[in-house]
Amino acid sequence: MIQARRSVRLLTRAVVLPALFAIACISAIPALAADTVNVYSIWPENWARPMFEEFEKATGIKVNFVRFSSGEALARVIAEKNNPRVDVLFGGPVETFAAGISEGVFEAYKPPSFAALPARFKHADGQWVAIADDPLVFMTNDKFLKEHNLKAPVSWNDLLVPAYKNMLQMADARTSGTAVTRIFSVLEVNGRDENKAFDYMKKLRPNVQLYTKSGGGGTLPVGLGQAGGGIFFIVDALDTKAKGYEVTISFPKEGIGTAAEGIALIKGAKNPDLGKKLIDWATSPAMQGQFAKYKINFVPAHPAVAPEPSLAEVLKGVKLFPIDAEYAGANRKRVVDRWIAEVLNP
Amino acid sequence: MARNAAGVTTAGAAGVHRDPVITAAVIVLWLLLALFVVYPLAMLVARMLTDHGSFTTAGIAAVLTDRHQIRAFWNSLLLAFLVGIIGTALGFLFAFTAARGRLPPILRTVIDASVLLPLVSPPFTTAIAMIFSFGPRGLITYDLLGLKGVTVYGLSSTLFSEALTYFPIAYLTLRPILVAIDSNIEGMAFSLGASRTRVFRTVTLPLAIPGLANAFLLLFAASLADFATPLILAGNQFPVLPTQAYLQITGLFDLRGGAALSFVLLVPALVVFLLQRYWVSRRFYVTITGKGAGQTPFDSISPVVRNVLLAACASVTVVIVYFYALLLYASLVMALGANHAFTLQHYRAIFTDGVKAIRDTLIIASFAMPLGGLYGVLLGYLVTKKAFAGRRTMELVSMINYALPGTIVGIAYLIAFNDPPLELTGTALIIIACYVFRYGPTGIRATVAMLQQIDKSLEEASAGLGAGSATTFRRVTLPLIMPAFFAGLGVVFIRSMTAISATIFLVSIGWTLITVKILENITELSLGPAAAFSVLVVVIVFVVIAAIGRVLRFFRAPGAMPMTSLLGG
Repeated sequence: MIQARRSVRLLTRAVVLPALFAIACISAIPALAADTVNVYSIWPENWARPMFEEFEKATGIKVNFVRFSSGEALARVIAEKNNPRVDVLFGGPVETFAAGISEGVFEAYKPPSFAALPARFKHADGQWVAIADDPLVFMTNDKFLKEHNLKAPVSWNDLLVPAYKNMLQMADARTSGTAVTRIFSVLEVNGRDENKAFDYMKKLRPNVQLYTKSGGGGTLPVGLGQAGGGIFFIVDALDTKAKGYEVTISFPKEGIGTAAEGIALIKGAKNPDLGKKLIDWATSPAMQGQFAKYKINFVPAHPAVAPEPSLAEVLKGVKLFPIDAEYAGANRKRVVDRWIAEVLNP
Repeated sequence: MARNAAGVTTAGAAGVHRDPVITAAVIVLWLLLALFVVYPLAMLVARMLTDHGSFTTAGIAAVLTDRHQIRAFWNSLLLAFLVGIIGTALGFLFAFTAARGRLPPILRTVIDASVLLPLVSPPFTTAIAMIFSFGPRGLITYDLLGLKGVTVYGLSSTLFSEALTYFPIAYLTLRPILVAIDSNIEGMAFSLGASRTRVFRTVTLPLAIPGLANAFLLLFAASLADFATPLILAGNQFPVLPTQAYLQITGLFDLRGGAALSFVLLVPALVVFLLQRYWVSRRFYVTITGKGAGQTPFDSISPVVRNVLLAACASVTVVIVYFYALLLYASLVMALGANHAFTLQHYRAIFTDGVKAIRDTLIIASFAMPLGGLYGVLLGYLVTKKAFAGRRTMELVSMINYALPGTIVGIAYLIAFNDPPLELTGTALIIIACYVFRYGPTGIRATVAMLQQIDKSLEEASAGLGAGSATTFRRVTLPLIMPAFFAGLGVVFIRSMTAISATIFLVSIGWTLITVKILENITELSLGPAAAFSVLVVVIVFVVIAAIGRVLRFFRAPGAMPMTSLLGG
């Protein structure tokens, strides 16, 4: 009987105590300030956070944000279409935004910088506007190159040599904007001849060890030497180098794609005015002039901001193809489906 | 008095009506199940079978005819089956050694603690340690063994990682059952002339079968639902369905196709569940009608066997400890593999930038833990011990959210609770509900397994003496199923701290989780913060589990089951 009573007391405690603790915690949360804009950021937190802190310093508006990779962020925006949770979608390659337009999740808005931006950095109606530009690069592991007597690849064909067999990592086109940009790069290099482009990708397939979920997913394995090399966005590659991993960044002489990074206002946003202020700020030199300060290696989209000198040095003389948002948007699904059927699952 | 006794012993609906407490509990549970299990699933099916308002089967047909998806389906089954077998075997090895190995308390604590490690950390942390240890430049394959051209991606690594991650579930399920098997019975068989092997084969093992079946089912379901491990380790040669579904939804924005893919997984999960029900229910297990005092302990295993068992446990333990030492090391150096200078910066980072995630996770876990534990015991008790219409159905329905891949549960919740009148997305409640109904079933299974060992006559005696069903539950059944309650409590808390597959869709602007931060950090090359977060999760869970153990030790009475050992207190 004592045991029974004890067990009841214990049960009560096990249920009540944590609940009380939780209630105490909840009541300790400060109410969100009225001047808060809600954001899904596709940029990783270590880049987005300093930008949003600068925004708050400049305007007094707080940014409440969560980070998701491009596919997830867009899936959420679509799922929440009838009842949007956020005001702005921040960062991410332009093809993500192109896919969002067809779902009707964005509200057109033209910030003051709109007129100053070149055509490839904005949607004609203002469904999205660019905040940065992000070229792709080849990144290879130094030790791997040395062990196999290779030079850093300077042509797309250099990646086809047998030494790379099962040693390349790059992103999976199902989830990653990086991968889609890469596929469109191969298309551009081959003069948009799809069959030729897919022939190349199929030839490359045996050298690919893994298609990663996120664009930067392969950088660590390449840094560690678990993979020999891969194709990444320059921000991720330079970040890997900065962390101390011994890698080499190179570019193909045939050229490689570069994707605009966008920002867009969500249709039905609860705080549209605050969202517009963030877009105004992010598309202007006010934000893009801060990239260098925080060692963020995006190329600024606004013509008034020059890229940071060491970044400009890396990109000197490199042949870049801007990814055509309209062409990519119109062909994205078909090309990705073909990639899945012919390259991923041959 | 007599009427009351008849009410309990007579099976059928009649008994329910006379017992308002049971009726009320059944109704409340059905309402909750309808709201948090059936409704989201129905909304999901509706989304899967409609296209802009009109009915279509195109989505599901596309999945069922795609040969790559069919291959992924068989891969999933193979993986889940192997994880179930190997995980159950490992769990039984540890549980049997712990229950019968006459270990000194210190050794038992060491084993308990290291066995819990994989369970109390986010699933992909083992996977990350695997990536570092194996592969072309892995610490073990290249630096230690000098092997070249080894690949780390595929079935064997995924299996290894999942079995190591999930076998503690089997351990937690089997241990109380093995402890509850009175070793006097084994002693009797032995004194009647049976060898120890024969005793094990004909007495101990058959008595443990409901537990083994449970463990296999839980591991099978866990593997079938896991997307994080295959995401990192399976590679492109061994696609599995949960990962495919996740990629379909997050990558191709194809809710319909992803829903269809995951839905296919429900079939094997239900088949295994029904098989297990049928198989177990054909056997009748009563070893005890109460916990007798004054036992003379019996040595179930010979010293040689004991040493072999200990050596086997020790080697598994060493692997686990190595993996987590690597994780700890990664959290304390600038960048693993590049710059091994000591630093505390990753911990500083998680306690400044990551503090919101830590607080949110703790609050959510604090709510989910007691609710999930209570839900598990209550439902497990009702469906095992009370006869009411639809109790089988209730048990089946309660298992759905556990059996379904987390991805699909997350998306179903997102679809179902995004709009009024049930607008829950963006709140903590949706995450709490998800945890309670997704991980509460562990408690249900534990309760069912526990109750199958308790003779019904105990409760009948109580009822015969005039106690109502509430009193009988409180005074007789409850003390006997406390270990199951705490197993459920512990598992819900652990999962609330470590799960990701469902809740990655449910985190929001207002509420985020440590696990989501960890995955994010891993994909961003910020391995340091990811490792630091993982270490923090492990520490928090260990502290809470130890606290539960301490409370239980206080509770333990002479002759009662040694429940303290259940959760490594």
